[in-house]
Amino acid sequence: MDKMNHSSAEAEAETIEPLRYLSKEEAAAIETELLRDYRFGQQQLIEIWGQACATAITKAYPLATLAKKQPTVLVICGPDQNGSIGLVCARYLRMFEYEPTIYHPKRSSQSLHQDFTVQCEKMDIPFLSYLPTEVQLINDAYNLVIDAMLGPEADHGNIKEPYSGILVTLKQIKTPIVSVDVPSGWDVEEPSQDGISPDVLISLTAPKKCAMRFSGKHFLAGRFLPYDIQKKYELNLPDYPGTDCLIEL
Amino acid sequence: LPFSLSLHQAYPLATLAKKQPTVLVICGPDQNGSIGLVCARYLRMFEYEPTIYHPKRSSQSLHQDFTVQCEKMDIPFLSYLPTEVQLINDAYNLVIDAMLGPEADHGNIKEPYSGILVTLKQIKTPIVSVDVPSGWDVEEPSQDGISPDVLISLTAPKKCAMRFSGKHFLAGRFLPYDIQKKYELNLPDYPGTDCLIEL
Repeated sequence: MDKMNHSSAEAEAETIEPLRYLSKEEAAAIETELLRDYRFGQQQLIEIWGQACATAITKAYPLATLAKKQPTVLVICGPDQNGSIGLVCARYLRMFEYEPTIYHPKRSSQSLHQDFTVQCEKMDIPFLSYLPTEVQLINDAYNLVIDAMLGPEADHGNIKEPYSGILVTLKQIKTPIVSVDVPSGWDVEEPSQDGISPDVLISLTAPKKCAMRFSGKHFLAGRFLPYDIQKKYELNLPDYPGTDCLIEL
Repeated sequence: LPFSLSLHQAYPLATLAKKQPTVLVICGPDQNGSIGLVCARYLRMFEYEPTIYHPKRSSQSLHQDFTVQCEKMDIPFLSYLPTEVQLINDAYNLVIDAMLGPEADHGNIKEPYSGILVTLKQIKTPIVSVDVPSGWDVEEPSQDGISPDVLISLTAPKKCAMRFSGKHFLAGRFLPYDIQKKYELNLPDYPGTDCLIEL
């Protein structure tokens, strides 16, 4: 649903253009440009996104509001970039005095991904060796579950183990779910019919099309995007308040 | 990022005296300079108007990446620094000193930094130094070096900061607890999710 741009010849006051929701191709193109043309490093971007996610989580679920005695959070990390962002997010949650536990079943051999894993291990963040399938165990142990399994580049039609199994478990838990960038298992461009229902979605850089009809709490995080890219893709990003790196949509 | 946030706390946009929120960021060739480049980029995002003076560019590809990121944000790079002090006083609200870090040899400062430091000692514009004031011995406060108004120590303060008399921030909240214990850093508690704290 794209609006037409106002021509600069119009004399009336400038209206706010609607926020753009990205297709799978656009999201990939922007990331390629950031790495290739703007010379951002992958490690740099993942750190920015991970920190922004953690900050959003503290806004959505402040320490003092968590129901359980300990501020426990389960962070489920996939094998690729979405998972790396989850690892960085877990590290910042630890710095912010939450008690994250990571479940990271399939570890990428990429050295960057391994670096992020070591950084978490060195912060004494526990790694689970398996995820209980007993839903009540998860409900009892954790205040929140962070879904950092599959990002926009994943093939939602062909989800392999262990993620398909984990998604089945996530559909049954009562613990609130926070998804990183796109809810795992969702088509990037279509809201899901039978996928997980996160309570909170943290879109990174710009929201994806599937978020248009997301009905939970929606944050936009990751305030670093050069103005030229914003203009090129007509993102119409909202104004972040002050020096915040996130905004609630 | 934490460095830029400290700046924003020390010098909020609304408090800057000049019509435009101009900031001059002087970047050295090594890590301190790279930090300055990233700081300039965030200042731009926070709606300040940074200008970078970056006389000697490292050939390190990481340093070059940071330079490209700034160029792509339309941040102007000066080709030379005016020696006329009044020009700097008139043009900029702040000068960010990101020239020489703790690894630099303060006893042997080469051009162009020695010349720049001479200029900085004369300007009226407030100076904010990144990690250590350029030209200072890391462990001793300087007798005749520059006098920044604000020092932003990164990770943990250096010995030379013990008798620093200006505004002092600690920035960069990421240090693993094991390292903090090992070096007995006794870092203060950062408020909330802030990545900086005023000391």
